[in-house]
Amino acid sequence: MTLSRQVLDKRVLACVGSGGVGKTTCSAALGVRAAVEGKKALVLTIDPARRLANSLGLSSLGNVETRISDEQFRRAGLTPKGALWAMTLDLKLTWDELVTRYAPSEKRREQILGNRLYRQLSTALAGSLEYMAMEKVYGLSQSRDYDLIVLDTPPTTHALDFLDAPNRLLDVLDNDAAKWLLTPALAAGEVGLKLVNLGGSYVAQTLAKFTGVDLLRELAQFLVAFGGMYDGFKERAARVKELLASEGAGFVLVTSPGPLPVDEAIFFAQALREARIPVQAAVVNRVYAERAPASVAELGAALAAENVPDEGGSLATRVGRTLANYAELARADRVQIARLAAALGPGTPLHQVPRLAKDVHDIAGLWTVDRHLFDGGA
Amino acid sequence: MPSELFSKRLLVVTGKGGVGKSTVSAALALAAAARGKRVLVCEVAARERLPALLGGEPAGPEISEAAPGVFSVHVLPPDAMREYALMVLRYKAIYKAVFENRLVRYFLRAVPSLAEIVMLGKVWWHAARDERFDLVILDAPATGHAVSLLATPANMLQIVSDGPLARDMREMQALLTDPARTSVCLVALPEEMPVNEAIELDAQLGGTLALPRGPVFLNAFNETRFTPGELAALEGGGARLAAAAAVAREYEDRADICLHAEDKLRVELRRQPLRLPMLYAQDFGPRQVQLIARVLAEGLAASEGIAS
Repeated sequence: MTLSRQVLDKRVLACVGSGGVGKTTCSAALGVRAAVEGKKALVLTIDPARRLANSLGLSSLGNVETRISDEQFRRAGLTPKGALWAMTLDLKLTWDELVTRYAPSEKRREQILGNRLYRQLSTALAGSLEYMAMEKVYGLSQSRDYDLIVLDTPPTTHALDFLDAPNRLLDVLDNDAAKWLLTPALAAGEVGLKLVNLGGSYVAQTLAKFTGVDLLRELAQFLVAFGGMYDGFKERAARVKELLASEGAGFVLVTSPGPLPVDEAIFFAQALREARIPVQAAVVNRVYAERAPASVAELGAALAAENVPDEGGSLATRVGRTLANYAELARADRVQIARLAAALGPGTPLHQVPRLAKDVHDIAGLWTVDRHLFDGGA
Repeated sequence: MPSELFSKRLLVVTGKGGVGKSTVSAALALAAAARGKRVLVCEVAARERLPALLGGEPAGPEISEAAPGVFSVHVLPPDAMREYALMVLRYKAIYKAVFENRLVRYFLRAVPSLAEIVMLGKVWWHAARDERFDLVILDAPATGHAVSLLATPANMLQIVSDGPLARDMREMQALLTDPARTSVCLVALPEEMPVNEAIELDAQLGGTLALPRGPVFLNAFNETRFTPGELAALEGGGARLAAAAAVAREYEDRADICLHAEDKLRVELRRQPLRLPMLYAQDFGPRQVQLIARVLAEGLAASEGIAS
């Protein structure tokens, strides 16, 4: 079954799946196809290993959109009717941009950017990366005129992180509990951010014994600085969610045929279903090809008939073993793909990309993936 | 000969997603247990996988024996938080009054890095304080997440300087950075991206993180099976040998890639990677892990024999 070109008519496509299954390659391949077919497309990646840059023939990608030149396409024998851009998300910069956008004053902005907890939050808060990726997609969908934005999602340790991230973030920014616990410090406001006391609150004092006073003080400062920005953040998060749940957005589930990635893919599909986000398509990458088996005796006979010397039948034995090994891998893949198909149900088309002889690291390689996805490999 | 690696207290296993970190963690545990060590494997992923690889029942948050001498535990933030808080506060009643307060739970969820700290805290406690175990193996998250997990104590110590949390984070940091007690084991596959990530991670370990670098495992390695002469003969052999030629070529191409990856790792990391075999099995389970554990033990013995 081939992937319907209609998938390229979406405004946003998010490729999701566990780490190491070829999400970045799949995202880039979708972007290349869209550009070739006349779209103005952007591929956005969270790409510590610069794989996207490599595969698009660029030496690096910054936190800015970079156009892939027609020359790069020509080298792969392609003439794009549209155009392709790519960019890598810088987590810290994207956070800073967001703070800058919503900070009511320069002073407040500096307070936040200088807060030590903020710096930790902007790189280490669970879900921060996932949220910022969606935030960037939303921002770009509003401020630029791309026909299609393909998001290569970060590898999550937990499938739900990706969908849960905005809520978790808002928990931090508008934490009633924190406000209640830290009221005295917050009441001190911008004048005396010293957390002189914790109001004699038994709970706060006990917590301070555990976390130390420093952490509570830093958190109080952070919350004071963020005061008033929460509504802007919340509104924005709601609109990001709206975009992802809209008709214009689609999720592509990417996996390899290994049993663990397939487990993850099934888990992911369930999470998306529960969030009422339909999966547009599933892509199984790097599938071993089926092979006709041959016995050692048959191979020995074929070697003899073709006058290939084989003393003691050693070569026939090794070829037979290798064929059996690859048949075993293909069989294992088939079992896993059937399991995935059963879990996804008939409503989600499932596409296979065979294991390619070479690593994909240029537009020509991405086009090969595209041909398997959209044209059945022809 | 006593293994140098297995005389550590903590082994951290990491690498790119999908390279076989859990398999290597399980195999290391079996190999250490075969040397008479009492081993605890800590899993921090969302879903528990190690007991199945070791042939045991799911452990959950309670430590349980998955194979003779090998124990496993699934470390999740809420359980780790409770254990840690109980340890600090000593009284269950206080814990209940404070930590089971709905608003406090909400608050704790919001503090960045607290989840990572309590998870690492549990691992540290078993490695440094728990007399029941000689060796703790942390089946760590994939590269990016592992870096942020391992950097948490140092980062948080810049914010928190007082209280039991700070004291314990200093100890965590001391354990993590001590080459006599800790070793970070890298896992890679013979493919471009996993190899590159291993190289970048190794640079971070040696640089900003300042963590002791241990062995590098090159997983799913296939040794050469056909000579160039045999390949040429098969490929020149006509239609009856077409399928044989194709499969032999595919196999040898991958064997070449394996050697290439090994060379690159050796040059860039300045140490010899240890080969772990590619296995052709439909179900990957305890039997395969045992096989890998044997190869791994032989490889370690050989490399440490050369080193010493």
